[in-house]
Amino acid sequence: MKRTVLKTAFLAASLFIAAPTLAHAAWTKTWVIEWFEPAHIYGAKTGVIDPGTDCPAGTNNSKPEIDWVDVMVKAGYTREEAVWLRDPANPTRSPVNGQNQMAFRGKDRANVYINPTSFPESGNFLPVSGTQAEGINLDGNATTGFVSPAGEKGIDNNFYKALGCWKTYRAPERLSSGALQFNDTMRNGSYTLVVVASGEGKDPMNDPNVTLGIYNSPDKLVKDGAGNISRDYTFRIKPDAKLEAVFKAKSVKGRITSTEAMDEVWMRNPGYDRELQLLKARIDFTMKEDGTLRGYVGGYRPWMPVYVGWVNARGPVIESLTWVSLPDVYYALQRYADYAPTPGGERTHISFALRVDAIPAYVMKPDASTTVAAATSYKAQAPAVVAAVAPASPYRAGGTVDGIVVGRGGAVSQTPDQLRPPAARIAAGTQ
Amino acid sequence: MRKRISLALLAAAAVAVSGGVGMTALAQSGAAAPATIVKVATRRITESQYRNTIRDAFGPEIKINARFEPEKREGGLMAIGASDLSITSSGFEQYFSLAKSISDQVLDPKVRDTHVPCKPADAKKADDACTKAFVEKYGEMFYRRPLTAGEVAARVKTAQLGAAGAEDFYAGLKLALTSLLVAPEFMFRVETAEPDPANPKQYRLDGYTKAARLSYLFWDAAPDAELRAAAASGALHTKAGLDAQIARLQASPRMQDGARAFFIDMMQFEAFDGINKDPANYPKFSQAVADSAREQTLKTVVDLLVTKKRDYRDLFSSNETFINRHLASVYNVPYASAQEWAPYTFPAESQRAGILTQVTFLSLFSHPGASSPTKRGVKIHEIFMCEPTPEPPADVDFSKVQALDKGTVRTRLLAHMENEGCASCHRVSDPPGLALEHFDGLGQLRTKENGTVIDVSAEVEGKKFTGAPGLAKYLRDDKRIPQCLVRNVYAYGVGRPTDERDEDYIADQTKAFGAKGYKYPELIGQIATTPEFFKVRVPSGATPVPPGPPAKIAQAPAGANR
Repeated sequence: MKRTVLKTAFLAASLFIAAPTLAHAAWTKTWVIEWFEPAHIYGAKTGVIDPGTDCPAGTNNSKPEIDWVDVMVKAGYTREEAVWLRDPANPTRSPVNGQNQMAFRGKDRANVYINPTSFPESGNFLPVSGTQAEGINLDGNATTGFVSPAGEKGIDNNFYKALGCWKTYRAPERLSSGALQFNDTMRNGSYTLVVVASGEGKDPMNDPNVTLGIYNSPDKLVKDGAGNISRDYTFRIKPDAKLEAVFKAKSVKGRITSTEAMDEVWMRNPGYDRELQLLKARIDFTMKEDGTLRGYVGGYRPWMPVYVGWVNARGPVIESLTWVSLPDVYYALQRYADYAPTPGGERTHISFALRVDAIPAYVMKPDASTTVAAATSYKAQAPAVVAAVAPASPYRAGGTVDGIVVGRGGAVSQTPDQLRPPAARIAAGTQ
Repeated sequence: MRKRISLALLAAAAVAVSGGVGMTALAQSGAAAPATIVKVATRRITESQYRNTIRDAFGPEIKINARFEPEKREGGLMAIGASDLSITSSGFEQYFSLAKSISDQVLDPKVRDTHVPCKPADAKKADDACTKAFVEKYGEMFYRRPLTAGEVAARVKTAQLGAAGAEDFYAGLKLALTSLLVAPEFMFRVETAEPDPANPKQYRLDGYTKAARLSYLFWDAAPDAELRAAAASGALHTKAGLDAQIARLQASPRMQDGARAFFIDMMQFEAFDGINKDPANYPKFSQAVADSAREQTLKTVVDLLVTKKRDYRDLFSSNETFINRHLASVYNVPYASAQEWAPYTFPAESQRAGILTQVTFLSLFSHPGASSPTKRGVKIHEIFMCEPTPEPPADVDFSKVQALDKGTVRTRLLAHMENEGCASCHRVSDPPGLALEHFDGLGQLRTKENGTVIDVSAEVEGKKFTGAPGLAKYLRDDKRIPQCLVRNVYAYGVGRPTDERDEDYIADQTKAFGAKGYKYPELIGQIATTPEFFKVRVPSGATPVPPGPPAKIAQAPAGANR
């Protein structure tokens, strides 16, 4: 079978010489992820924002869109001020500063991005109301959650329920703005993820002992003549002390499913929050006849980084472009969070699944000497991690402070209102 | 205020001073001043020769961003077509723009001290002595001979005007350099002959022409200082002097440049300029794959023939090559290296054998959406056996071979060959190509076409073989293969196609080539040491004139050097 390495005497001997410390599987199959996005179902039959079984009113705030002048007036600005603040001719709406004034619409002009509860929930940010969802039964309870398109009950995906009607995530597969943005980044060479599956049995399609790992690679994806990611390229594993997800699984008729939940795994996330933590993580993949791999990685992810990620992506820009009042995202994630790492504690995590499409690829050991012999941990080969200094605030990213763009050196120019974070906060990252 | 000087006007003036191609005043230096000189050929330098000259003069940092004039293939080689080429007006604009760009880079204030051999007395004024030193130094590199006093004086005058107008010595020097770079004496190799003192009534190539022939054959570059010195001293007219220079050229790593240029020409790599593949059939094809394939074949050729000095015929059978990530994907093998390129040997099960089973040959000589045994077979005969195939008749019906969704190409070709007019050529051209049918139009391994198992058996002149390995053995044993290389090397070096008068020479050289183990570097040296390599065929109608300042060179009628 293609790219299936059988344990011949020759190969075993050569691999043993090359890397005596690594376990060797009876078979190994390898892929590179060419697309991954939150596992959401678009319930409409047409378009990208139309009403559907998932979102009967269509994509949130699509009809009508948010009247930001009205929002600002309700926040205490005069209509003249609000119109000026939203006027494209207003120089403070420059590409550098965005629409920074939109931040200060909370109670007592608080910055709503870092004080989301200072602004009321709009009531227009509706959750998914359908019963069908993609994903994985994370808690083993078939009586809760959604039903999969194939009829499997107990699918846990409250991330979809909370945000599935937001323009960022709602569209047919591969067409939502979020999926396009972060996959384009990956497909244009920003980052790469490879998948390695290996087993001890004779038949990769039916093996009770499968290990599947998801790793970073330093080698870029390459597009083919049709603009798709090209098959059969070679990628090295880049050992990472943190971003590595290895699962215990089994395969039945080509379907690889977890045999146990992994307490905690980390991997690259297709979102502004680049590192995805998954608790009680599981997989559900299918090896296709054409050599591709498709399925899900699921688990409970911390929801606060999701909100912070969008705030740090320039809150006013995200709000304007994706038809959302970001505090609504905060409220929705908080409402539908369904997992507390500490029993009885705060529900800081929300059930989630990534839909993953991977194509055949060669995956090499980190030193590129040979193809990988098995899905295993490479953390021991990762460079020593330099202890990061905890940021004073999570709301600082690149040139963004508190969700708004600051100029070079932290300067914020705001006219006509001098609505800006205090200088001390810009410098310290705290308020 | 800086006065703008028309660069075009100045350059044109410089060209006028030199008289243009065919009216070139020739430097009269060397041990033996000839009584008369005859121009026997002009050959436009190729893009690689231009680039190599600039690199040799000013270093690899100089960026050469330009679209060069298209070259012309004649008698199987671009090197022969170069003798027929001129420069169009739009092409001259390109060269002129490039010359200005090079001048700007060379005389950029940050680096000019490394290029200018002197300091002007006053950087705001012209300095004739410094200009003269600069022009003489680089002019000799570009013209492949020392400049005449008139040629130098024209550039000094140009620099004077430029410096005065701009109040900047280096602005004037830029104009002088630009003028040199657009001079026909640089862009064309002017080959001249002089009376042979040892053979009255006979001509011999002058020393600088000999030096250029040697240098372009071995290094694809203009003669270096040592070779020019050997030309000036007359050493190249002696066996000892010639042998010494050939040995030096052969021993240099720059032989790789020469080999690359020769095989780019012989293997018709200009086809890469127009290569196109249907992404529906060959999604893996991309410009990166095309560029990689080209480089793979060149690396293979240079490694086998120049570095390892292997038997030329190994090109058709050796599976030693180099790959990168892009090619590894097409060949569907892992790329076990963190470097850009890595050595690789195809295993036996790959069914590959030699350069004919690399992506270059397999994809260049296929259709955009399908393989083509006919194209491949035709090119094997044309490129490696020197046996061109006639063009198909204008009214030929291709419909049966274009029905790509049925059967294999073999069955389609058999149907096509029901036309006896087609069959006569296809019987010769197709069998080698059919042996390569396990590789699709991109060069990817396959065993079936439209669900039908592909038959890769072939028979040529009663010799039966199967698949690429069988074809490799057939070619390796075919006498036409080394003989064609000898013919091409000779024609490439002298810039004209061989004819019946050369047959005995080609036969002798092929025999000697075999006696030395079919080593390519040996062949180059062997040919360069023969009198035929410098043999002068005085153009009919040429009227030798005595040299004098300025000396006029007799005009050769068009194509006379053929």
